[in-house]
Amino acid sequence: MRKLVKILPSFFIAISSAYAEPRITLSIDDFQSIGSPALNSKDIHVSLTGPRASVLEIKLGEIVVQGTSWRNLRFSCGDFQVAGGVVQCEGGTLTVSASTPLPVAFKFSATDKTLDAQIKPTPNEASAGWRLSARWGGAGWEGQLTVAEGQLGHLEGLLPTKGGEAVPSSTRGKVNGKFKLSGTADGMAEITANVVVNELAFSDASGLHAGENIGIEVNANAMQVGRRKDRRWEWQADANWLRGEVFWQPLYVVGEGYRFSTEGDLDDNLIRVNKGKLSLKDIGEMDFAGAIDRSTAALHDVDLSGDNLELAGVFSQVLKPFLVNTPFAELAAEGRAGIQWRFRNGAHQSINLHLHEAALDDGRGSFAFRGINAHIPWQVQGLTQASISVRSGQFGKLPIGEVHVPLQIDGPNFSIARMVVPVLDGKLTLEDFNASPQVQGGLKGWQWQFNGALSPISMQKLTEALGTQSMQGTLSGEIPGVSYNGSTIEVDGALLFRVFDGTVKLDNLKVLDPLGAAPSLMADLDMRNLDLNQLTGTFSFGSMQGRIDASVKGLELFDWKPVKFDASLRSSEGDYPRRISQAAVQNISSLGGSGAAAAIQRSFLHFFEQFGYLEIGWSCSLRNGICRMGGIESESLPHGYLIVKGGGIPAITVIGYNRNVDWDELVSRLQRITQAREIKPVFH
Amino acid sequence: MVNPLALSRYILLMLLALMPLAGHTQANIEIDTPAIISLEQRMQQRHNQLNTYYARGAVGLTRDGLIAMRDANELPLSARQSVNALIAAENQDRNALYREIARANGHPEWEADIRSTFAQRWIELARPGWWYQSASGSWVRK
Repeated sequence: MRKLVKILPSFFIAISSAYAEPRITLSIDDFQSIGSPALNSKDIHVSLTGPRASVLEIKLGEIVVQGTSWRNLRFSCGDFQVAGGVVQCEGGTLTVSASTPLPVAFKFSATDKTLDAQIKPTPNEASAGWRLSARWGGAGWEGQLTVAEGQLGHLEGLLPTKGGEAVPSSTRGKVNGKFKLSGTADGMAEITANVVVNELAFSDASGLHAGENIGIEVNANAMQVGRRKDRRWEWQADANWLRGEVFWQPLYVVGEGYRFSTEGDLDDNLIRVNKGKLSLKDIGEMDFAGAIDRSTAALHDVDLSGDNLELAGVFSQVLKPFLVNTPFAELAAEGRAGIQWRFRNGAHQSINLHLHEAALDDGRGSFAFRGINAHIPWQVQGLTQASISVRSGQFGKLPIGEVHVPLQIDGPNFSIARMVVPVLDGKLTLEDFNASPQVQGGLKGWQWQFNGALSPISMQKLTEALGTQSMQGTLSGEIPGVSYNGSTIEVDGALLFRVFDGTVKLDNLKVLDPLGAAPSLMADLDMRNLDLNQLTGTFSFGSMQGRIDASVKGLELFDWKPVKFDASLRSSEGDYPRRISQAAVQNISSLGGSGAAAAIQRSFLHFFEQFGYLEIGWSCSLRNGICRMGGIESESLPHGYLIVKGGGIPAITVIGYNRNVDWDELVSRLQRITQAREIKPVFH
Repeated sequence: MVNPLALSRYILLMLLALMPLAGHTQANIEIDTPAIISLEQRMQQRHNQLNTYYARGAVGLTRDGLIAMRDANELPLSARQSVNALIAAENQDRNALYREIARANGHPEWEADIRSTFAQRWIELARPGWWYQSASGSWVRK
């Protein structure tokens, strides 16, 4: 060895022969190879004792080889012999830190230029163990490490320490195979490994990165090429993951049919993959290339491309664990996808995504899209134009027709100038849609806004699709600015709809946590000139003629159920026929509950089908599940409230007496009434 | 038949509901809004599943009124993902519960106090053998 050895600072050899047994001890505090930090060692004690100096003890406090350290290394050999150029040891043991002592034997022959070393952890099994045979001569050397049923657990204590802790924290497994090594005086030149590892298990201390019962087959070769200055390793490796499971938070993968083959090179700075292929069961094949920075273990460059990937597998195996507790947790996908990803100098450069006949379903009935064909290019800088088409879909129970999405992408910002979504027989037009990641405030996630319009949708078709009471009329309206800030949808301005020949204005609309577990909605509703005939006909309430205005102020829904509002309805201003049927009178009366009485002129009521009225008024303030009811405001009564004020001949007056009614009870009464097909008034 | 787990959970909620808030004696923890009722129902259902993981020491109670994976090694590999999801769902509901109780009291700014009061009570009411985080953040077995 040409390297100089520097021994610092205290050093002594003591040979004592006070007794018959010779004793040689050597202690060195610090030992460094000069000119290269490749090897240094501290706190070295060597002793040779026993009859014919046959008992060897070596203790190393710490040894550092190329930045990797081992502590408290101890080797002892009870039968150590040096004779005729042969150094050999039988029955030796090797211990590192607190590892289990490993039985070691070796024979070194300077004349034959061979080394034969064995680790036999289980003496019973003659064939099991680790065996290293090496020979040298001329300019080179070669060696072979043969492993038969080699237990990785035995090596656990032998693993180097990083920051005082062994990494990973526990590893088990059986190794079978061969490693061939060859080299020159300058070091290793070639390594070939053909190894099968079975029953491999590993885990870090937290158990969040762990594997069990893994079977893996690795065939790899690495060769050193180039002259001194540009020396590097060229390598190729094939790995076949045969069985076993891995949990790498949050991914859980059962290995079966996963193959990995790569070739590349390695120099002082980078591990480069020039050509790699990854084959994943139920997903497909991907080609990749790239480089990893050796000092930081960070990705430097990546090129990844895959065509014809199974979206179902990509979602269920890769994306799903990342979508837990989002509105997309149950999302399922079908169809095929292609991806090209370019990553340079630690940053994303571009992603190209293709979807072919894909389908998405959120699994909760909120949305589903079918027949998605798309090309979505993205690049770190500059505008790109995506083309997305969706053949059909569904929002809740509402079917939507074919949609083309002219999506413009500018880095992290997405925009759509205008798109039209056919909904039943009408259409929803979205304009000036913009979405971007949240940049300020404590809210994470996305923000977006748009405005638009709804062209007439037949209420009959809409109610049919929603499975609710059939209604007449049309729904149309302007949609002013709608925005989402990561947690709340707010509508800037009023939504206007035309239904029941009147208008409905939805104002101050706000939806908190719209896609979360506890969505709540706040709004004010103002309805004008609704045609009572259409309205009551729709809900089988008993026919009424006339027009009403209604307002619902401070409406709050939680989980889409009302928890608070101040509602009132009254006859609209103007001149129009005002008639009310017997059935409607009965129903209005019964809404007040058993305690509510209607002051009905019973004596002649049953002679008439219809009555005239002057005014209708009713109010309900919902608080804590109780609806506090009132009647026509201007007509205060001492005990009760006037709901229908009679007028004309025959006239009818309806008075409510019960002011507080349980809301759920009121709703179920209303449901009973409106669901009854045929209403027969009952007279007492 | 009364499910003892559900019963213990019920008693736990009752105790929590009755306890006055330190420093905010006017805060009403038993306040019932539809949001709180639905959150409590969901948490009650989930508790039966979480119970076994608390007992095994896989999941522990954190000092900030949430729960966390304490030692995933107590679980088979195949269960670790779903227990993670269960923890995330529980924490989402717990955060919503503290926020909603503060909001229902008309004092959203009390959320932090309500959270820390709950955190103490969850730990006090935990069963022997369960793990919780001490004030310093280290895990302690009750």
